[in-house]
Amino acid sequence: MNEKEMLLKKIQAEDFAVYETVLFLDTHPEDKTALAFYCTHRDNVEKLKEEYMEKFGPLTIYENRDSDGWHWLDKPWPWEREAN
Amino acid sequence: MWIYDKKLQYPVKIKNPNANYAKIIVSQLGGADGELAASMRYLHQRYSMPYKEVVGILTDVGTEELAHLEMIAAILYQLTKGLSPEEIKRAGLDTYFVDHTIGIYPASAAGVPFDMKYVGIKGDIIADLNEDLAAEQKARVTYDNILRLVDDPDVRDPIKYLRQRELVHYQRFGETKRADLRRFSGIMTVKSNLFSIGCFLYIPYYFRISVLLNKNFVYQNIANAAFFIEGCFFPFTR
Repeated sequence: MNEKEMLLKKIQAEDFAVYETVLFLDTHPEDKTALAFYCTHRDNVEKLKEEYMEKFGPLTIYENRDSDGWHWLDKPWPWEREAN
Repeated sequence: MWIYDKKLQYPVKIKNPNANYAKIIVSQLGGADGELAASMRYLHQRYSMPYKEVVGILTDVGTEELAHLEMIAAILYQLTKGLSPEEIKRAGLDTYFVDHTIGIYPASAAGVPFDMKYVGIKGDIIADLNEDLAAEQKARVTYDNILRLVDDPDVRDPIKYLRQRELVHYQRFGETKRADLRRFSGIMTVKSNLFSIGCFLYIPYYFRISVLLNKNFVYQNIANAAFFIEGCFFPFTR
C-alpha cells in the first residue's frame, strides 16, 4: 500500500465516522457526546484532507490550490481501480 | 446543492473482472430496491416534511445513497473492464452489451430500466417514513441475495459495507418515526396552535354539510372526521 492509498483510507475512515455521527445527530440533536465526537473527527478529517490535497491534488472543485493548472481533472477518477 | 467529493465513501478494488457478477449487481444500481431508487426517494420526500429533523435525516441519508450509487457503479466498472466478447456472451451479458456496451446503465438484473414507479412519495410523514423503513429492508435483502451469489472477496467486501449501511439507515428511520415529535423545536408552539384551530373549524362545517345532504352518509363522515382528527392530532399527542 503506497502513501496515497494509506492516506486516502485514513480519510475514508475518519470521513465515515463523521457521516455516521451526522446521521445520529439528525435523530438525536441534543446528544452532547455525539456532538463532541463529531467535532473531534471533523477536525481529524480536515487535517488529513489538507495533507492529502497538498500532495495529491484537489478532492473538491473548491480545493484547486495550485494556480498553475486545473488539477481537478487529474486521473484517476474514484471508480477506477488505481484510485482505491 | 451538492458538492462532489472526489473519492468513494468506501474503497472498491476488484482484481478479477466477472460478467456474471456484473449482471446481478446492476440491480442495486437501477433496480426497484437499489441505490438510485433510495436516493430519489429520500431526497424528494424531504421537501414536504414538516419537521427540520426529518428534513435533515432524509437529506443526509439521501446524499449517502448517491455515494452508494457511485460505489455500485465503481463495482460494475471494475467487473466489466477488459472483458472479451466471449466472456460477455457466456455470462448472458450480451443483451445488455448490445445496447450499452460496457457503459453503466441503471437497470435491474432482469433488464428493466430504472423507473420512478419504484419510489413512493406520499407527501405524508407517516406514510413516507414507513415507506423508507420498508425500502431499507428490501435493499438489505437484495444485498443478502448478492452475497449468496458472489464468492470473490474483493466484491463481497464493499457489498458487505453497503449492506451494513442499510441496517443503520433502518435504525435511524425507526428513531425518526418513533421520536417524540413534541421534542422537535418550534412546532408545538407555533404550528400546533394554528393546526388545532384549523381542525376545529373544519370538522363541524363538514358535519353540517353532510347531514344536510344525506342522513345515511353521516356515519361514514363521522368515521372520516375521526381519521382526520386523528391525523391532525397525531403529531401532538403521541
